[in-house]
Amino acid sequence: MERDPGADEHLSRLMARAQQGDQDAYITLLRAVTPRIRLMVRRRHGQSPDVDVEDVVQEVLLSLHSVRHTYDPVRPFMPWMSAIVRHRVADASRRRMRLGREIAVGDLDVTFGADPPNTFEETFQDAEALARAIQSLPPGQREAVELLKLRELSLKEAAAATGSSVGALKVAMHRAIASLRRALGGLHEE
Amino acid sequence: MNTDDLIERLARQSSAVTPLPAPGKRVALWLGWAALYLAVVFLPMGAAAMDAVGSLYVLQQAAAMVMALAAANAALTSVIPGLATRAWTRPVVGVVVWTIGLLLAVAADMRAAGMAGLGSQTDWPCVVSMTVGGVVVGAPLVWMLRNGAPLTPRVTAALTAIAALGVTNIAACLTRPHAFAITVLVWHGATLAAVAVCAAMIGRHWFRWPETKTL
Repeated sequence: MERDPGADEHLSRLMARAQQGDQDAYITLLRAVTPRIRLMVRRRHGQSPDVDVEDVVQEVLLSLHSVRHTYDPVRPFMPWMSAIVRHRVADASRRRMRLGREIAVGDLDVTFGADPPNTFEETFQDAEALARAIQSLPPGQREAVELLKLRELSLKEAAAATGSSVGALKVAMHRAIASLRRALGGLHEE
Repeated sequence: MNTDDLIERLARQSSAVTPLPAPGKRVALWLGWAALYLAVVFLPMGAAAMDAVGSLYVLQQAAAMVMALAAANAALTSVIPGLATRAWTRPVVGVVVWTIGLLLAVAADMRAAGMAGLGSQTDWPCVVSMTVGGVVVGAPLVWMLRNGAPLTPRVTAALTAIAALGVTNIAACLTRPHAFAITVLVWHGATLAAVAVCAAMIGRHWFRWPETKTL
């Protein structure tokens, strides 16, 4: 990215004031740098369709906020910010690759699982018994069912909402379904 | 969350922060701690400590100290965005000078005693004292580094290990004089390298991006 010394100086002054607790200067600074961050993230991620640019931009903003005390006002601002963007984008890429590998395995499990998933929803008619069975699940499993099946959130959204990993949610869901199948299967037999 | 909302929230919750002092100043602070460690190790030895001192010894230990300070400076620089480019290259000169000093001593030993020093001594006590001492000397450095930006956690952790073990190497050499320099080169060098590699492997657990808790 080309450096404009005048703009850089302006950003340096804003950051120096933000470090002194000036919230107006801080919001002006963040608004000024966000389009640049977005551009840098787009350039580094290319046209990758599975990257949510805005997620990475927000992550960069959070990082920038959490280490704003590492900025030295006598130094130019843009190299400081660019270094944070570069490293956070690299972190996001690594995470994406890792997640991609995890999801690939998870998909196989769902696609080729021995037990057909969700069949109890299609065949089980006693809504009250189902609600009771869900309530009797352990909290982690119950939460997984509520978020993924009742509220129909995606795995990613549910993971963000609970603070747990996608893998942990998949495991909780798998166990919940097994428990429900056992509980409701028992009812059928009665 | 919308990015504009996030910016609003970050600005609303921001308060005054004190910029970190320059890496050089923080190195000086850590050097004070390292000097205290060396004083605690050396003082009980009294005059006996001076018996081991020769010109080559002084060169080796000076090189070890230069290596430690360069590594500490590089580590502290590596957590400042925009300054951190190729921080790992800085202690290389110190490592090279330290190694050359030891190689000169090895050559002098070989002239005097032939191949007698090769493989004749093990040095497990120094491995233990350097590693345990390294934890004592390195812990405050890790604490200081955690206040920065973890841009390259593995490199930062390895540099921290080199800095700490550079200092504890000096203490180990003085408290347990070695008959042959090859013992120091192999055992101390391998200990330093092994600890640096281990530190690099767990560096991501030491240095993480701080959470922004109030969001």
